[in-house]
Amino acid sequence: MSVLELEDVTKSYRTGDVLVQALRGVSFDVTEGEFVAIMGESGSGKTTLLGILGCLDRPTTGFYRLVGEDMTHLSEAHRAKVRGLRIGFVFQAYNLLPRATAAKNVELPLIYAGLPARERRERVLEALAAVGLADRAGHRPNQLSGGQQQRVAIARALVSRPSVLLTDEPTGNLDSASAEEVLVLLEHVHAEGSTIVMVTHSQEVAQRASRILRVADGLLVADELLAVR
Amino acid sequence: MTATLEQFRIALEALRANWFRAMLTALGVVIGVASLVAVTAVSAGAQKEVGDSIRRLGANVVLVDGEFITIGTGQSATERTITPEDVAAIAKLPTVTAVAQHQDIESLTVSAGRNHTVTRLFGITTPYADIYNQAAGSGRLLSAADVDFGRTVMVLGTGPAAKLFPGQNPIGKTVRVGSHEFEVIGVQARKGKLSGESLDNRIFVPLPIVLRVLLGGTTTKSVGVRVHSEQDIETTMDAITELLRRQHNLPASYADDFSTEDQAQFVKEAQKASGTFRLLTFALGGIALLVGGIGIMNMMLVSVRERTREIGIRKSVGADPRAVQTQFLIEAIVLSTAGGIAGLLAGIVTTRLIGTFAHWQTLVAPRSLVLAFAVAVSVGLFFGFYPARRAARLDPIAALRYE
Repeated sequence: MSVLELEDVTKSYRTGDVLVQALRGVSFDVTEGEFVAIMGESGSGKTTLLGILGCLDRPTTGFYRLVGEDMTHLSEAHRAKVRGLRIGFVFQAYNLLPRATAAKNVELPLIYAGLPARERRERVLEALAAVGLADRAGHRPNQLSGGQQQRVAIARALVSRPSVLLTDEPTGNLDSASAEEVLVLLEHVHAEGSTIVMVTHSQEVAQRASRILRVADGLLVADELLAVR
Repeated sequence: MTATLEQFRIALEALRANWFRAMLTALGVVIGVASLVAVTAVSAGAQKEVGDSIRRLGANVVLVDGEFITIGTGQSATERTITPEDVAAIAKLPTVTAVAQHQDIESLTVSAGRNHTVTRLFGITTPYADIYNQAAGSGRLLSAADVDFGRTVMVLGTGPAAKLFPGQNPIGKTVRVGSHEFEVIGVQARKGKLSGESLDNRIFVPLPIVLRVLLGGTTTKSVGVRVHSEQDIETTMDAITELLRRQHNLPASYADDFSTEDQAQFVKEAQKASGTFRLLTFALGGIALLVGGIGIMNMMLVSVRERTREIGIRKSVGADPRAVQTQFLIEAIVLSTAGGIAGLLAGIVTTRLIGTFAHWQTLVAPRSLVLAFAVAVSVGLFFGFYPARRAARLDPIAALRYE
């Protein structure tokens, strides 16, 4: 079953007087349970692509379906709901709220989804336990290491049990030991059945996925299936 | 519901993180609300004082006073130009509800035993009490029988009562006016002062006695006329002027031998003058609130900018524009509401100080407090709206990248 379907998606925007063609017709499907790495140079359009996949942005033309539902024409309010319920983001810079504790950060998607407090608490603890940080629930981001912060971010991304986990250079800010930890965690999440899309420019990191999509100049230039290890 | 509660928590946390800035920002609202409360209280106090004055005088009363008649060579005759016929004719005017003919004698020395005092004697009829809001503090007022039979009875103001009968109950005692003796039947309830003159340094006896034994004749200087409503005062004064000129057969070239006045006129004028002043102060309070509101808007705009990334994060985890807007709006309203509450307290304290030091009558009406508070909350809502909407409309991608 397809989780993500892109059909001839283009994206252009204006910076000053220049019209930038960030995506020039991209089509691909991601099936449930896949771990896809999207690779490309900076400026290739991979980040724009991730924005569209994450419903943070809309294609200029073409279609994007998430679990069969068209995302192209949804209102901003509706897309916000989709982001909260169907998509989990993990960013390079962690993007945790600095004043909130780890637990509070993980709880955010559930608050906006309108879950009752007791259920929120249970799921937050569960998600933190899953990333091995149950004992850090009351810590603020500045009391955690980079790797720990990124694991909190992963817990936040998974807490709403989304259809897909979108990660943007998740190891970009980490030392190699922490990076390895995060990658192992992602592999574990994948093994449990989650669909993951990961943007990266590192071949080494991309090798951890089950499939690599290469983007250049706003076009999909390669689609490689990797041997299951 | 959970989301709104959560947004309250978020707003409070955001304010606490920048509490000094928040306090300075709220100060504008505090000053605005405090001045509105104080001005309204002073204004309501002044209003009440005017109302009290008019009540003491009697509401909607036209006072008709006879004037000295000046004849050609400068000789003048009596000022007691109001005849019983005049009074009867005035009573028939359509806007008139009651008339009270009366005659006073000023600076009259009266005595009781070895005590004496200088006072103002009024010869009155029974409608007097009704028109001028006279009430008995003890004993009784003059009755119709007292007036009709010309009984030698007297009602004392509290001033003469205290002077003539210190520490005693004056009722049943005797007061001498010249060679005449009057029995005290009552003491008038305290009325207070009006533009410097004490309304309590007065004594009252039946009008027929005054005319028969003290002055002679049947005419009087004064008649109090109560009209139906305040709007009738002007027209009735004109009607009385026309009527009395005819009654007195005055040729067109002669001046009036009487005058008419709205006895609350000067009170109303004083009220108008202070009204202008109040309006000005009220406007100043309004301006303070406006400035306070702009302060809130400014702080909220800064806050939105500082927290652009936070907004991006919230949007990426499912906050829709409305949730973001509500969050910032709540923050602005919490700020203005806190300012409003502090302003109410400051306003009440200021009002007390004004009352104590300026000796102005003040009145803090609950309604004005509710109003000032509502205005403060509205200021937050109004000036918080634009920054909140700006936050709500931020592009999530740009917000997430914001450094």
